Amino acid sequence: MERLRDSNEFIGGFIPRKQRAKILIGFLGISILVLSLRLFSLQVMKASYYKRISDENRIRLVPLQAPRGIITDQNGRVITFNRPSYTVFLIPYEVKNLDFVAERLAPLLNLDLSTLKERLKANWSRRYEPIKLKKDVDFKTICVIEEQNQDLPGVIYQVEQIRRYPDCGWAGHVLGYVRELSKEELSSDSVSSAEKSDFSESTSLKLSPAERRGYRPGGYIGRKGVEKQYDDLLRGKEGGTFLEITAAGKIIGPLEDREPDLPVKGTDIKLTLDLDLQVEAESALMNYESAAVVAIDPANGEILALVSKPGFDANLLAGALSSAEWNEILQNPLHPLLSRTVQATYAPGSTLKLLTAAIALESGIANKNTYLAPCNGSYRFGRRTFRCWRPEGHGRLNLVDAIIHSCDVYFYQLGLKVGLEEWCRYAKLCGFAEKVGVDLPDEVKGFVPSLEYYNKKYGKGEWVKNLVINLSIGQGEILVTPLQMASFYCGLATDGTIYRPHILKEITSPDGRVSIAQSEVWRHLPFSSATLGVLKEAMVGVVNDKDGTGVLAQIPDVTVAGKTGTAQNPHGEDHAWFVGYAPAKDPKIVVAVVMENIGHGGTFAAPVAKRIIDKYLKRGIVAERADSVLAGDTP
Amino acid sequence: MIKFRYKNFDWGLMAVALILSVIGILLIYSAKHYSANVVERGIYLKQIVWLFLGFCACIIVFLIPLRFYEVFSYVLYFIALSTLLLILIVGSSKMGASRWFSLGGLNIQPSEFAKIATIFALSRYLAYSKRSIYSFRWLVPVIGIAVLPALLVLRQPDLGTSLVFLAILISMSFWAGVPIFYLFLIVSPFISLICASHWVAWALFFLILIIILYHLRLNFLFSVGFLLCNLAFGMITPLIWNRLHDYQKDRIIVFLDPGRDPQGAGYQIIQSKIAIGSGGLLGKGYLQGSQTKLAFLPHQHTDFVFSVLGEELGFWGSLMLLGLFSFIIVKGILIANKARNAFASNAALGITSILAFQMLVNIGMTVGFLPVTGLPMPFVSYGGSSMLSSWIVVGLLLAIHYRWYEY
Ligand SMILES: [Zn+2]
Repeated sequence: MERLRDSNEFIGGFIPRKQRAKILIGFLGISILVLSLRLFSLQVMKASYYKRISDENRIRLVPLQAPRGIITDQNGRVITFNRPSYTVFLIPYEVKNLDFVAERLAPLLNLDLSTLKERLKANWSRRYEPIKLKKDVDFKTICVIEEQNQDLPGVIYQVEQIRRYPDCGWAGHVLGYVRELSKEELSSDSVSSAEKSDFSESTSLKLSPAERRGYRPGGYIGRKGVEKQYDDLLRGKEGGTFLEITAAGKIIGPLEDREPDLPVKGTDIKLTLDLDLQVEAESALMNYESAAVVAIDPANGEILALVSKPGFDANLLAGALSSAEWNEILQNPLHPLLSRTVQATYAPGSTLKLLTAAIALESGIANKNTYLAPCNGSYRFGRRTFRCWRPEGHGRLNLVDAIIHSCDVYFYQLGLKVGLEEWCRYAKLCGFAEKVGVDLPDEVKGFVPSLEYYNKKYGKGEWVKNLVINLSIGQGEILVTPLQMASFYCGLATDGTIYRPHILKEITSPDGRVSIAQSEVWRHLPFSSATLGVLKEAMVGVVNDKDGTGVLAQIPDVTVAGKTGTAQNPHGEDHAWFVGYAPAKDPKIVVAVVMENIGHGGTFAAPVAKRIIDKYLKRGIVAERADSVLAGDTP
Repeated sequence: MIKFRYKNFDWGLMAVALILSVIGILLIYSAKHYSANVVERGIYLKQIVWLFLGFCACIIVFLIPLRFYEVFSYVLYFIALSTLLLILIVGSSKMGASRWFSLGGLNIQPSEFAKIATIFALSRYLAYSKRSIYSFRWLVPVIGIAVLPALLVLRQPDLGTSLVFLAILISMSFWAGVPIFYLFLIVSPFISLICASHWVAWALFFLILIIILYHLRLNFLFSVGFLLCNLAFGMITPLIWNRLHDYQKDRIIVFLDPGRDPQGAGYQIIQSKIAIGSGGLLGKGYLQGSQTKLAFLPHQHTDFVFSVLGEELGFWGSLMLLGLFSFIIVKGILIANKARNAFASNAALGITSILAFQMLVNIGMTVGFLPVTGLPMPFVSYGGSSMLSSWIVVGLLLAIHYRWYEY
């Protein structure tokens, strides 16, 4: 199709050069005319209007708050929503006697009289600009202010939407919280570190990256948890309207030639979390100070419950927190702001014996009936003695029994056969020392040592064997997060496929469009189904054998499988571990429990896991409790 | 040496360009003379130096024979493209906006010079191509030459400057004799995209399109393909658009139209309108602009320099500026019309179209007609690259005028 036209016939269009020049000049003339008319309208017709604004010279942008997206659990039950709150302001120019008003307001708003006066005096010069006195004032106080408005001239209040989280800090680490942004935070880059927009440098405006993403001082930003991770979705888009005000701050009215930018509501988020299960997990840990629980659906990686204790009260953090209260949280030795499920690392203890066993099985070093030297309570290697947790010893055991009874001596020998390099290689293949990539902020990757690491630390030598003895029972240098442990067991519970754990289930845009988060495979365990079969058999035994270490996780009618762990801790009591799944034949849930400084995994962690699994598989029995979490508020 | 022919030299053009430059320096001085920062107060001196350099460049460009530009047009174009590519690779690793090249402390903006090189390349192609202007083979290189640098500039990202390339493409194709209807067809996918936002507008657009296609008696297959292409453009874009999340949309909107961002450019436009409007008929007087004094406009010495003029010299001052620009542009068109050499004629027109486009878009932006795209006003806005390229362009126009009879 070389020629576009069927014929060469001369049909319209072609214009000789001189005509073209005339057309161009005509085009220019029209453009100039249009611009001149615009200038005429601005500079002649509306000149007095603009002169007035120019003389008075203040335009104030009043932000229009965008309602933040609501967060629900997988069944659509609201976990976090917005509620109206009252903020009290004082307009100086209506106040005749500052001391009189301040003395009445201080007790009413529960403020210190001298600091209140200082604040008022500092802002007194801009007489028409409202001074913010207190946020989130309760309704009763507002009623009192209404009643006494004759005595309290210039005191006004405004409704603002603020975030409402579950009471007592339920699911606090999952949800995170929002805080007002200060000017300093905004100009520093910390806000924008999450992700830089592709278009961040597109305009020639001098805005900080955070400002370009729509943040402004006094606006809210998500901190921690889902609020941080999905801040861009939840936040919506703040609107704004321009007000014309005088130099003294008196509002004349909205600017004439500009429509207000209406706010866009934030996107609603549905989490994979099951509120019943979350509540059950938190109740199970009620009496313990520091612990972490991860529950995952191994079929798709959906996180069903995620607990980190101690927690924090998100309502408190989102509100007006005094610096004393803030310091108290920061200096708490238990670090309540640390999300232990993804940010804390522990030695996995015996829960990792399954890795040692799997490597041995996979590389043909052992099979399920391999017997090693009998356990008499300790194992001598070189000049050192390594103890079994059971001082009287376990006697002669095969691999499956060694897992069921968690015999350390058996695994010392197995670890030596596997060798350090091979052990570390497999540990990395299983995803340890690597971020799982969960959609929660600040995940850490833990640690798996390597030969180079040891060479650097200890120098070359025979120590290699001592070290693998420790690693083979999950002690020594290895560090894992509870989430990594749960993910590893997701692989053990299934055919080796591990879905990437995630907390987002679906989002609903303000226009009602729903998009569902897709599950994706994170990795496959490097083990054959025969290997996994042996491990499964052993894990069922751990819980269901009459002298297995995990018998406290037994549930009638359901076969639970799992492994206990007791991680030695140089700073105090041992950490208790239990990681398991159920039902053994067709796993619906994987649970990892770690409890700090408490003792044996079988004694403390297994019963907690049992409660969670029991609740999940037989849910609906005590459904009322979850609803009571949010009692007293209606979204 | 050949005797200089006074009468053939376009003194008026040079004088007006000089007047515009001096007005620019005066406005820059006014915009910054209240600044507390000594360096900022002194930037008008820098601009004087740039004017001097620009004037020298103008004379050099004038003295070089036109044949030189014609012969080396593709080479220059290639160099310009490589520079743009280089700046994308080198510049992007540093600070986000990679429009600038730093050469010994002087910031050079290669896209300013890429415009001129593109005009040369297009002029040469249009002057020598033997193909029919109704053929695909003719059209593809024309579009390619203009769109390639435009895309590179868009990646920087600098939307305003990449639109200048589009303006060059349209105006020069028109000058080469492409009928207006064909030009409409070239830009129609973009129009389709815009019209697709409302079905009535879209239907109307297609009606017009079909009428034009019928009127031109274009190849039937081509016509159908073309309509489908337009249909696809209009339909797929909203589909993709709807798949995006709101925050992604916002980023694109702010990218295309920063004026939508109420705290940033939106604020600037309002302040600019207040400045211009409050100037009234006669203006507040030189150095008397209160908006200017209070520095409400952060870019008033560069992209928003017109608002200083509007405030201080009023409606009459604004009209005077428009008049001076119109003089240069009309001169340019007449020079293009008069030149016998096809390359020179095309080049003169391309050059003129840049000046016209930038001036119109810049003023359109300051009066709130067009989105804030960041195009400087030739001769007047502060900036070395802009000043240099404006004067190079004047040098070319002068040369073409001086040697109009050459073939
Ligand atoms: Zn033992």
